[in-house]
Amino acid sequence: MIGIGEYRIGSFPMMTIGLGSCIGLTLYDDTVKVGAMVHIMLPDSAGRTDRPGKYADTAIDLLLKELAKLGCKNRSLVAKMAGGASMFEYFGANLNIGERNAVNVRKCLKENNIKLAAEDVGGKVGRSVTFTPSNHGKITVRRADGTTCEL
Amino acid sequence: MKLSAVQTDAMQELGNIGAAHAATTLSQMVGSTVQMSVPGIKAIDIADLGKYMGEESAAMVVFELQGEIPHGGFVIFYITRESAIRLTNTMLGFTEMNRPMNEMDESALLEVGNIMVSAFLDATAELLGFVMLPSPPAMTIDMVHAAMSSLIAGLGEDTDEVLLFSTELTCEEHKIDSDIIMMPEAKTLAHIIGLLENMMKPA
Repeated sequence: MIGIGEYRIGSFPMMTIGLGSCIGLTLYDDTVKVGAMVHIMLPDSAGRTDRPGKYADTAIDLLLKELAKLGCKNRSLVAKMAGGASMFEYFGANLNIGERNAVNVRKCLKENNIKLAAEDVGGKVGRSVTFTPSNHGKITVRRADGTTCEL
Repeated sequence: MKLSAVQTDAMQELGNIGAAHAATTLSQMVGSTVQMSVPGIKAIDIADLGKYMGEESAAMVVFELQGEIPHGGFVIFYITRESAIRLTNTMLGFTEMNRPMNEMDESALLEVGNIMVSAFLDATAELLGFVMLPSPPAMTIDMVHAAMSSLIAGLGEDTDEVLLFSTELTCEEHKIDSDIIMMPEAKTLAHIIGLLENMMKPA
């Protein structure tokens, strides 16, 4: 299980539970057969470096660097994401953190020429995500309302 | 922020007074005795939040602390899904347990949370001489980890650890388990502790 701001890289199954405004982002390379998953909490590090997995910008930089060491090329990596919900409507401090997370993930992926193949983001619902690199990088999203979807 | 033994005691006493007032209002609303635990304090690193709470569904009525410090943290009325249904059944005169929650349940829970958290904040404000104005309440019935992590995201970019001050309120007659949880932002916590320490100084 991957906690807030944490990440894993490998070919074993990975999981994040209870994503609200947070984002579970996966990257998978079908030629090298290796994947990465990170549990992002906030859109922008604004120069912070102590917990790179916590922020969209530093998390994506870090994963790309680590995956490159294993032989992954940006053009063969495929990204998927889930989360980015707004659990509490109209809360000053919480306003749109989920949406801003999703926007910044898309932007950082684009800057690095990574294809975003699928996403299940937004709404008001909590999500748990399992990532199975061995099954061509499939992710399964389970929502709090009991529905599931595969991406 | 690491609390000393004296600071921990002071915060527990504050939580105790707030929760006692909240418990009284709950007791009046369900017409039955409500027991209260000793207030607990947990320091949780955000990466470990999943070790304390998971995918289980619960109702949470949440207030943001506003006032002198704009985003001062949150006070949360937390109740498991089963207990929430027992509570609204008691209030609304229903008996069916295996039913989906509807708008009536939600507005009843919102009102219960509103009354309890207001009582909690009134009592602590009176003790501290410091008003923590609550925002209007917001509610969700969802995965606990999803809701709490979303609130923590609202505490600010530098939050890597949170302190949860929680008191369990239970009603044996109706089998209702709930918690009142305070999750102050670091500056608010420092301010509250400063006020408590001043009160403890000999005059």
